[in-house]
Amino acid sequence: MNRFYSITGAALIAATLGTVATADIPDRPEELIFKELNFTPPAAGDYRYELPSGVRVYMAPSNEFPLVNITFSFKGGSYLVADDKAGLNSMTGSLMRSGGTASMTPAELDEEIAYLAANISTSSGSTTSSASLNALSSNLDDALGIFMDVVRNPRFDDDRKRILVEQSLEGMKQRNDAPGSIMGRDFTRLMYGEDSFQARVSTEATITSITEQDMRDFHARVFHPGNLIIGVSGDFEPQEMLETLEAAIRGWEFGESVPNPPSSDNVPEPGVYYVNKDDVPQGMVRLGHRTVDRDHPDSIAISVMNDILGGGGFTARMMNRLRNDEGLTYGVYTSFVRPSWYPGHFLTHFSTSGETVALALRMAMEEIDKMRSGMVSEEELTTTQNSFIETFPRTFESKPAMLGVFINDEWTGRDPNYWATYRDRVRAVTRSDVQIVANEYLRPDNTAILIVGPWEDIYRGNVNEVDPNRRASMAEFFGGEATQIALRDPMTQKELPADGGG
Amino acid sequence: MRLFRIAAVGAAVLASAQANAQQVEPIQFTLDNGMEFMLYPRSEEPNIIAAGWLAKVGSVNERPGITGISHYLEHMLFKGTGTIGTNDLEADRASHDEQRELQERLLSQVIDVQYDRWRRGEISDPWDATYDTDEMREIRSELREVVDAHKTHVVTNEFDRVYTTKGASGMNAFTSHDLTMYFINVPSNKFELWAWMESDRLSNPSFREFVSENGVVIEERKQVLESTPTGRIDEQIDSVFWSSTPYSWPIVGWPTDISGYAYDNLTDYFDTYYDPSNLVGIVVGDFNPSEVKSVIEEYFGRLETTNPVIQPVVTIPIHPAIEKRIDAECDCQTRVRVMYPAPPFRHADGYVLEVLTGILNGRTGRLYKSMVEGDEIADRASASYQPRKYGGALEFTGFPKNEATTADLEAAWEREVELLKTEPVTERELQKIKNQTIADSFRRLQSNFFILVQLGYYEGLGGWEYMNESPEQIQAVTPSDIMRVANQYFDHSIRTVATYTRQEVDLSTMDPELAAMTPEQREQVQMMLAQMAQASIDQLKQVLPMIEQQASSVPAEDKAAFDYMLKKLRERVEAEGN
Repeated sequence: MNRFYSITGAALIAATLGTVATADIPDRPEELIFKELNFTPPAAGDYRYELPSGVRVYMAPSNEFPLVNITFSFKGGSYLVADDKAGLNSMTGSLMRSGGTASMTPAELDEEIAYLAANISTSSGSTTSSASLNALSSNLDDALGIFMDVVRNPRFDDDRKRILVEQSLEGMKQRNDAPGSIMGRDFTRLMYGEDSFQARVSTEATITSITEQDMRDFHARVFHPGNLIIGVSGDFEPQEMLETLEAAIRGWEFGESVPNPPSSDNVPEPGVYYVNKDDVPQGMVRLGHRTVDRDHPDSIAISVMNDILGGGGFTARMMNRLRNDEGLTYGVYTSFVRPSWYPGHFLTHFSTSGETVALALRMAMEEIDKMRSGMVSEEELTTTQNSFIETFPRTFESKPAMLGVFINDEWTGRDPNYWATYRDRVRAVTRSDVQIVANEYLRPDNTAILIVGPWEDIYRGNVNEVDPNRRASMAEFFGGEATQIALRDPMTQKELPADGGG
Repeated sequence: MRLFRIAAVGAAVLASAQANAQQVEPIQFTLDNGMEFMLYPRSEEPNIIAAGWLAKVGSVNERPGITGISHYLEHMLFKGTGTIGTNDLEADRASHDEQRELQERLLSQVIDVQYDRWRRGEISDPWDATYDTDEMREIRSELREVVDAHKTHVVTNEFDRVYTTKGASGMNAFTSHDLTMYFINVPSNKFELWAWMESDRLSNPSFREFVSENGVVIEERKQVLESTPTGRIDEQIDSVFWSSTPYSWPIVGWPTDISGYAYDNLTDYFDTYYDPSNLVGIVVGDFNPSEVKSVIEEYFGRLETTNPVIQPVVTIPIHPAIEKRIDAECDCQTRVRVMYPAPPFRHADGYVLEVLTGILNGRTGRLYKSMVEGDEIADRASASYQPRKYGGALEFTGFPKNEATTADLEAAWEREVELLKTEPVTERELQKIKNQTIADSFRRLQSNFFILVQLGYYEGLGGWEYMNESPEQIQAVTPSDIMRVANQYFDHSIRTVATYTRQEVDLSTMDPELAAMTPEQREQVQMMLAQMAQASIDQLKQVLPMIEQQASSVPAEDKAAFDYMLKKLRERVEAEGN
């Protein structure tokens, strides 16, 4: 007897006997009815403290485990570094942990941390820097002692520095191997300008010129309590923790808080730009223009609009058109990159085989136009709103994640009510709001298009396409005009002779 | 001063360990049908539940002839049910029965006719379709037609889609030597969806596409064993090391066996090992236990037990005093592995072996200090203790550097072993491992999903209680315990030694992009591709854009390797995706 029939048979008998077990179970999962998720976002104010010295602290105790997480978040990063020292911030961040302290060699430090079973890490990114500790609450005093030694008195050991420089240079050599890393650098240059800190790239010269004194200076400027917000989660008594922290920073000089990252008013000249790389079969395409900053009043409507256009993965229009209907690419997405301190940019990104770049580009532009000329459907809007609301709790999914949000919000001066009203504001977005922001913030006429790939194939397009409506070449964009961007030497970032592809 | 402080810290750590010995206390209950459940409510991750279940079955329960069937069954359980996965149940079942009958006829031809021809030397492979008899050719073409026609009634990956459209994520499963486990994350308010879906596939599985899935698993085996530089060597070493036990065959199975599963093998295996009395459900996260329990009772209560007789695993390893050596060549980084038989999971000596390997490993461990940093003869070196349900392995692996050879590393390893056998480890080394064990025992419980996987994995190996016992047992380990187990288990006469030597491959015949990579990258890329081979096409389509977006965060030196992997994945999607 076939197993399936025997089982349905049994179920049938059970059903006719009216057993309670099967009676309540719907036939299909779509018929299940779910309760709404009951979730109130946490308020930053409930977790915020100030030390007597003025340092801001966010604390979220939890006695689930005898572990404590302490994160020191410092304002400042690569934007504070001079052009000829590019890479200084990340080298400083990395060597604070690996390069020992004034009282301990790197090997001794490794051993002490391992013995205490603690994790300590330090780093410095583009706009913030950080140091964090995860330790057993039972030996927190010792672990915190070492952590403070790392943060306050780094040794910047010469041997460890040499190893780090060797590794960086080894990595640098491969910079031009992949279209994606060329795209990343050149698109940022296009959007923010060659001289902006966003577009700055380290070179062999800048990395090798970094001295111990440079690191000490950067360290002194960024890693001090005048520039610090602390986050603590895990197993501790809040009042005791405040005292412990105050004691830990005692005698540590308060410097001046660093300035905000600079804005860039660069506006890319609309047009087609390309980097010729003919050792790859695909063209990688990114098009975009500058846009607003993070907390612009239209921000939520923009997010909803973007999700429907191309931000929402498999449900988004771009993905449906370019991938599911046309099979031109395996992935396409759009994004409004909105940094906290300065206006960001809008982008659409995809890869497709060289000869179909123009066709895919035409279709992407059509989707952008459609977004502006017509209203989205009720179903599209609801799907996006539900997904925003359903995934909202994940923003605060753990205590460390929650504190991270609060600290970032404080650094960037976000409205404290932002999260409390977030879902209401998502729900309030209407179909006409979506069209209004599409018209305002999608600017096809101001778009710069950057393409990395085999330019000859890309320009020519799909000449052998039988369907004339699907035939496309780059001649149809900006009157066929295109500006070549030279590949740059990976170690110097100087432009290479323009004829060489790949 | 420092020493004093450290001793004080050690005492403090020890005290805290004892105070917190009991760390995991799941709520346990058993349904009338014998299915066990563990509930672990946890509010740290609001609104999320990790849920899963395990079948206490793995390749160790198989027999020659059907090796790999545990893993094959795992694949089949993603093929839908009488409700999920088809748009026309009647047509679907009709085709299913037809396929079953045709496959039975084909298999009996292979066994009755082709094996005879093979034994007489008339053909070189009884499974190779090139040698089909006329009758077989007819059956095969009819089967192909039926399988093709069936596709119109299949809703591909509906099982996955139902979950993902409701906000669930991370659906997956794995099969090991000792257990099979299925799991997913669902939003808290969707727990009933999980209960619906999982009890449906346990009571109502369709085994849809059981013929065509064969090809998928055979491809998977090829990817893992033949397309990775070390796959076929690893398989042989395992087989030799475990020679006297059911661990001697690979989880994926021997190739002939994969080709030859009969439909009845599959359903018999399912009926025996997926009986509710052999299953354990686990739920971790933000939920109300009594609500969840009543949903469980309602949905999983409908599974019926047949009280099957489960054959116990009787064979245990034997260790005659014969050293086994395997020397192999591959396009891979040169290395040496030294393996010793070791005790099974939850054996009292296992905890001592965990400490012993801990002392050897890590940046501040003995192997790094002596081989990597000190003599600079190793690029990497590590030791591990790998317990299974019915046995265990203790292993050293080292990758030589500079001019050093595998023989040099083997000798260096022997010196470390000698040291462990003759000199007590220092109190400080021991305490360091104890401290780390305590901290890690908490750190590993910080995510719902990892708690779920650990509870299931350890329960499948022989008892989740290990999670509570292990930190306590480890605190009790003394230097003389370590000397005793070193003398007991590091026994030359019964060890297995394997060397992998980099073979100078002809790069000119290789894909130029592969040839341009370092052998280490080549090996990694091929391993990754092999892993991805286990994903379905639809899963692959979903992860590809995510992988693509990670491109910018790949370290520059690995960029080319990353891109190559991406390209290969795209090719596969292109080839199979339509």
